[in-house]
Amino acid sequence: MIRQVDAETLKARFEPHELQVIAADPQIVGAYFSPCGTRLVAGGFDARLRRWSLEADEAVELPAVEGHNGWVQAIGFDPKGTELFSGDSWGQLRAWSWDKHHVRPAWIQQTAHDGWLRDLHVCPRGDMVATCGRDQVVRLWSTTDGSLQRELRAHEHDVYCVRFHPDGRTLVSGDDRGVVKHWNASTGACLGEFDASELYLLHRLQDVGGARVLRFDGTGGTLACGGTTPKNGGTVQGAPTILLFDVASRNLQEKLSLGAPNQCLVHDMHLHDEGFVMAVTSGTPGQGQLLFQRPGDEEPFVKTTNMPNCHSLSLHPDGSRLAVVATNRGSNGNGRRLDKDGRYPGNTSPIHLLQLGPADA
Amino acid sequence: MPGPLCKPWEHQLSRRHWLGTVGAGAVGALGCGGLLPPVLADEVNQSKRQVLFVWIDGGMSQLESWDPKPNTQFGGPFRAIDTSVPGIQVSELLPRTAQQMHHLAIIRSLCTQDNSHSAGVGRIQRGDPKNRGVTYPYFGSAVAKLMGPGASKLPPYVWIKPGSGGFKHQDAGFLGPRYGALAFGDGQPPENLVRPASLSADRARDRSLLRQRANERYLQGRPSSVTEANSYVFDVAQTLMDRKELFDESAFSRKDVERYGSHEFGRHMLLGRKMLEAGVRFVKVNSYGWDTHGDNFNGHASLMPKFDQAFAAIIEDLAASGMLEQVLVIAMSEFGRTPRINGHIGRDHWPEAWSLAMAGCNVRRGVVVGETNPQGTWVESEEYDIGHMFHTWFKALGIDPHHTEYDNGGQPLPIAHDDCGVIEELLS
Repeated sequence: MIRQVDAETLKARFEPHELQVIAADPQIVGAYFSPCGTRLVAGGFDARLRRWSLEADEAVELPAVEGHNGWVQAIGFDPKGTELFSGDSWGQLRAWSWDKHHVRPAWIQQTAHDGWLRDLHVCPRGDMVATCGRDQVVRLWSTTDGSLQRELRAHEHDVYCVRFHPDGRTLVSGDDRGVVKHWNASTGACLGEFDASELYLLHRLQDVGGARVLRFDGTGGTLACGGTTPKNGGTVQGAPTILLFDVASRNLQEKLSLGAPNQCLVHDMHLHDEGFVMAVTSGTPGQGQLLFQRPGDEEPFVKTTNMPNCHSLSLHPDGSRLAVVATNRGSNGNGRRLDKDGRYPGNTSPIHLLQLGPADA
Repeated sequence: MPGPLCKPWEHQLSRRHWLGTVGAGAVGALGCGGLLPPVLADEVNQSKRQVLFVWIDGGMSQLESWDPKPNTQFGGPFRAIDTSVPGIQVSELLPRTAQQMHHLAIIRSLCTQDNSHSAGVGRIQRGDPKNRGVTYPYFGSAVAKLMGPGASKLPPYVWIKPGSGGFKHQDAGFLGPRYGALAFGDGQPPENLVRPASLSADRARDRSLLRQRANERYLQGRPSSVTEANSYVFDVAQTLMDRKELFDESAFSRKDVERYGSHEFGRHMLLGRKMLEAGVRFVKVNSYGWDTHGDNFNGHASLMPKFDQAFAAIIEDLAASGMLEQVLVIAMSEFGRTPRINGHIGRDHWPEAWSLAMAGCNVRRGVVVGETNPQGTWVESEEYDIGHMFHTWFKALGIDPHHTEYDNGGQPLPIAHDDCGVIEELLS
């Protein structure tokens, strides 16, 4: 990654300012800008794909798209922005013809995975979508018709995340033990491993942590692997951590430790072209961070802690805005606690739309 | 009523005398045509009854185990799967246990009183009786007191747990320390179990005799409970020294180790089976680390398969050997987990509507008792507290919970909550 600009200048250019908060009720897993930048698409804990139009001053929720089961955790667009892909925790993968007015089913793989489909990513060429899941397998599908192109079977545990290299020729996948495999997308050969095992801990009976999120920088020279440096299981605690690897050698270059153990997990991140990492974390209920940090720096140049339990981060295609999915305050508590109407309340996911840079820009 | 071929004296035979002189294996030699008269049969059966108490410390999520609510607001990411009993589903995280469902009873309508670990663990394991100013015994201590060690003479209440071991007298409450749990920390036997080679058997016996006499002299004119417990521990150690092969994991079959799992819980459950086979009255197998306030779903995705593997294996084995007829199996926590999913993607403590599983020893097989509403937030059928469970468990073991009392130095005390009763639907 390139260190060209000093931190103060970066802070002035990228410090986030809140534009609006969209109420997502019930909770969602994550929300992402469409390639056209006029829509937000979110996967829910309620098996729905939800959409908001951003064309007016205030975001307007559009009718949700049904057809999934469980949690819709995996969402991605093709590079042209005409196809949307979504995967759910019952293993279903769906492709949708997408424009900002319509979402129409294209094809369905009902059992793309046996159980939880954890992540998906569309190849930069747009011809393949990679998925991974709890069944320990990575699969490559044709984006055109959903036909299975290749199965990559070398993980021995739950595969949490998958990502194509920017050149489209290779991809990486990370599992719950912190094993990150590097694959040739054409042949399916495993080219080697990135060692992220420090993101894993066996605590008592529980496998804790693992490689939770993978991102390349724009050049493809650096791979970032996010998760936690686990301290214990149960109520999982650990310092949110990003490991930066040199892709060519697969060697660890740097470890970014992004907070106290109660901040816990890096849930999402983006490697900005200006040479810094944007990350969100979620820990003990109430604890959440949005962080911008350059590799080599001791501290982040932006650190926002007023959004509890942040779970996703999406940079607008024009680079000027950010969408961060957080959680309502007071989301936890033991035992019977009812709302003012005597009902048992669920939690919500405020989506924070943030302007990057000067508030009056 | 006695059978026509049986003699009246047979009904005067005490349980202890029966076991001491005839033994359970000689049932067919009594001249009763292989059938025991019902009263005597009850007594013999009770004498053989045992308990496997699987304690999942911290709180297993009912939604990720016995009472899944897939595709609902709080249902989480997992699917429900069919079991060996048509119409009954459990979480997909229990695939092996699902195939043992025909041996199990699930109760989905528990509503208990405490949502903290510090009070909840004790409250649940003591049966949450009415407050009478005394500390009630844990279920294991209660069974040790009410049923004794049985023919094996092995300690009546053993606790196989991660971490440290030792004699846990606190479990016994007012019953007195001798009814506490003998804990095998990390499944290991008590230290110095094996007699040193330098000490001959005769010398060891002489030493034991000397200790016994010293204890008797010390006891004269002193309160007996502590000394009795101390002496009891030595006696127990003696019985274990004679059975040290029980702890020899290298002698466990490789197939068993694979079936139960090489992880901590699997090893401990397999040791639990060995203890039951050896005749231990009450075996508690304990797992820690289930308090998943954060990352609940990945946590259960990791924890549940280990529980599933070991639990399904022991149910299958107890059923195959016929022991399930006599062994009451209970798998439970101190509470369930909240339907609401918090910001750390965790679930908090939820005593309002949760589940446990049971098997064996007069428990109906392949049934679900009670139900929660579609969101899994509240019990929709009759709510049952832990007092109901204690009544039910005692009855399953052949102990009448309404007419059996503890004697606390002259103070009669009920063995289970006075206002609760047996859940008859759970018993055959």
